[in-house]
Amino acid sequence: MTTYTICIFTENTIGLLNRITIIFTRRRVNIESLTVSETERKGVSRFTIVIKHESREEVEKLVRQIRKIVEVMAVFGYLNDEIVYNEIALFKISTPLGGKSLDVETINKQYKAWVVYWGLDYVVIEKTGNNEEIFDFFGYLKQYEILEFVRSGRVAVGKTEKGLVEYLPEADWAYYL
Amino acid sequence: METIASVVLDSTGVNSINELVPQETAPVTFLSGAQALMESLVAEGVDTIFGYPGGAIMPVYDALYDFQDRINHILVRHEQGAGHAAQGYARMQGRAGVCLVTSGPGATNLVTAIADALIDSTPLVCIVGQVGRKLLGTDAFQEADVMGVTMPITKWNYQITDANEVATVLSKAFYIAQSGRPGPVLIDMTKSAQIELMTKPFRYEQCQSIVSYRPRLVPKTEQVEAAARLINNAKRPYILAGHGVQLAKAENELRQFAEKAGIPVATTLLGQSTIPVDHPLYVGWLGMHGNYGTNVLTDQADVVVAIGMRFDDRVTGDASKFIKQAKVIHIEIDPSEIDKIIKADAPVVGDAKEVLKALLPLINANDFTVWRNEFRKYDAIEHEQITVPELSSTEGKIRMAEVIDMLSTKTNGEAVLVTDVGQHQMMASRYYQFRRPNSLVTSGGMGTMGFALPAAFGAQVGAPDRQVVAIIGDGCFQMTLQELGTIVQNKQPVKAIILNNNFLGMVRQWQQLFHQRRYSFVELQNPDFITIARGFGMDGQTCDARENLSDALDTMLAHDGPYLLEVVVEKEENVFPMVPAGASVSQIRLS
Repeated sequence: MTTYTICIFTENTIGLLNRITIIFTRRRVNIESLTVSETERKGVSRFTIVIKHESREEVEKLVRQIRKIVEVMAVFGYLNDEIVYNEIALFKISTPLGGKSLDVETINKQYKAWVVYWGLDYVVIEKTGNNEEIFDFFGYLKQYEILEFVRSGRVAVGKTEKGLVEYLPEADWAYYL
Repeated sequence: METIASVVLDSTGVNSINELVPQETAPVTFLSGAQALMESLVAEGVDTIFGYPGGAIMPVYDALYDFQDRINHILVRHEQGAGHAAQGYARMQGRAGVCLVTSGPGATNLVTAIADALIDSTPLVCIVGQVGRKLLGTDAFQEADVMGVTMPITKWNYQITDANEVATVLSKAFYIAQSGRPGPVLIDMTKSAQIELMTKPFRYEQCQSIVSYRPRLVPKTEQVEAAARLINNAKRPYILAGHGVQLAKAENELRQFAEKAGIPVATTLLGQSTIPVDHPLYVGWLGMHGNYGTNVLTDQADVVVAIGMRFDDRVTGDASKFIKQAKVIHIEIDPSEIDKIIKADAPVVGDAKEVLKALLPLINANDFTVWRNEFRKYDAIEHEQITVPELSSTEGKIRMAEVIDMLSTKTNGEAVLVTDVGQHQMMASRYYQFRRPNSLVTSGGMGTMGFALPAAFGAQVGAPDRQVVAIIGDGCFQMTLQELGTIVQNKQPVKAIILNNNFLGMVRQWQQLFHQRRYSFVELQNPDFITIARGFGMDGQTCDARENLSDALDTMLAHDGPYLLEVVVEKEENVFPMVPAGASVSQIRLS
């Protein structure tokens, strides 16, 4: 199984997520993670979808089917070594009175993670990184009581000098400053 | 279609591009969403709508009342009938058919026709009523998530919740439905958007392009050159022409191309009639029940030129064994079809007409008589083992092939044949001698039983000057027979032939061949079809004797108005040749 990251640039319209995910569902391809946000261009959304698949050929077909959707402007399929990618994870750790104290220095320096919220008897720690780094940190935190753990979908940019402007159709786009 | 640059109106219908100066005494009132919808349809050149009114689409129907002089609304008996009729109309007209139905069950009844239109690339614009904006998502009366339901089966769908959106959305809908690879679009229009007034003057501009949707019509030169090189070096080239040729209106270009290169032409089921059957280069049609030679020799071609076809499994049989020996040129407007089933050595993305025009000067004049004669050898075998026995029976019931063969002779192969799905569909395709382009309307990809009667009606509306004959099985007929009422009410001279064997024939054939004759729920106790037709006000007769068949067909064809002919045919007849499901095409069976 190879991990593929599919980046989809679309118009920002209602229902498009459904239209895209139907393509995966119909072909029985599981979505490992999905992230959507607006890009630097107003009205243009970027979907980052991670899947695992045995066949590159099938992924290419999938990409072509996604491109067929009217509101989709561009689709790119990447292998991991073709992109810079990251995820963000939040850990809610129990810190009861008299309990094991957190080693914040190790958390900061070794794991490049940060306490972003101090509650009365818990803290929230934020960690960005790839899958392995996050789960490595998860392993470290197991010594404490993990009350909650949440991980975002992958965000990724291609290792290319090109920006959106070079592969999206020309139009009068507004840019965020 | 007439191109209209733009139309600007107020509710008086006055072209008010320079007259929209508000007056203190008589302020301008703008159009309602429903009126804007009607104006948009007229501006788009729509003259016919197939529909069925209901609560959530009533404001549109109220607006339609004032447009009866410009738009011919046809009241069907069931929304599925509206969809199929619009398909038949679209196939004949070469532009989008329009359906108008209400919310909830009205919309869900359309679903089968929409799915059918998507897989067979038929342009449809389906306008569906929806509950008011405030009621969306509340499970209100007759509310269904039509957007969700139709997302996988439409080329595009959109929900209008604001009257100001109507013109823009309609123009976009027609553009998407009719451009590139045609297909169905659906517009879900809330009742509130139908009722509320626009806040600005109505302006309709035909959509010419969409930023995120740019179908390639003109092919890339290097792709065309690569294809030409393969063709010019071929020893046993073979053209497989599909529905895309017809959709691109490229019949002449196909003929010029084939004649110059001397390449034999086979068609898919939906590609039939793109080239006349008596053309010397025509070698038959492909697929599960296609011709013997076309199937067997597919695996002996060295270059296959596939034009506007998508290698459906009914064409390829076992795709892993299909044309492995050949270099494949795939001419296709939809890039996602390239390499989907069969790997293309030379893909050419573009409109079939444009691609063939670009190819023509690059190909060498050639003659593959020896190769073409290979097909004739197989034709002779098929003729002897299949055709002659089927057409020369003197005992037993009438056979389906006899009916189609006689109909073909009596109509000179020039009728529009609209078929339903099953054995009769295959027989119609095998034995009708198509001589005019755009003469077969059938449900290919979806295989929708019940398609023929409403589609024949729509085809007749779309081609009033042509003889339209529906070929229907007894099982199929009972799925949409209520549309007899639509045909009679609209006085359309549709001729319908029911080939009645009291069986779901194709399923029965499979049960016979692959399930040891375990006939599981395929025998029908049929009603008296002619009495039913007469109940609707339609003339007809039953023919169950061979000696009466010719007269019965003559009576039907000469009848002034719609007519139903029931022909009682052999109960347990099988369609051969046949490529068993999952077998390779060269394993085609003659018995």
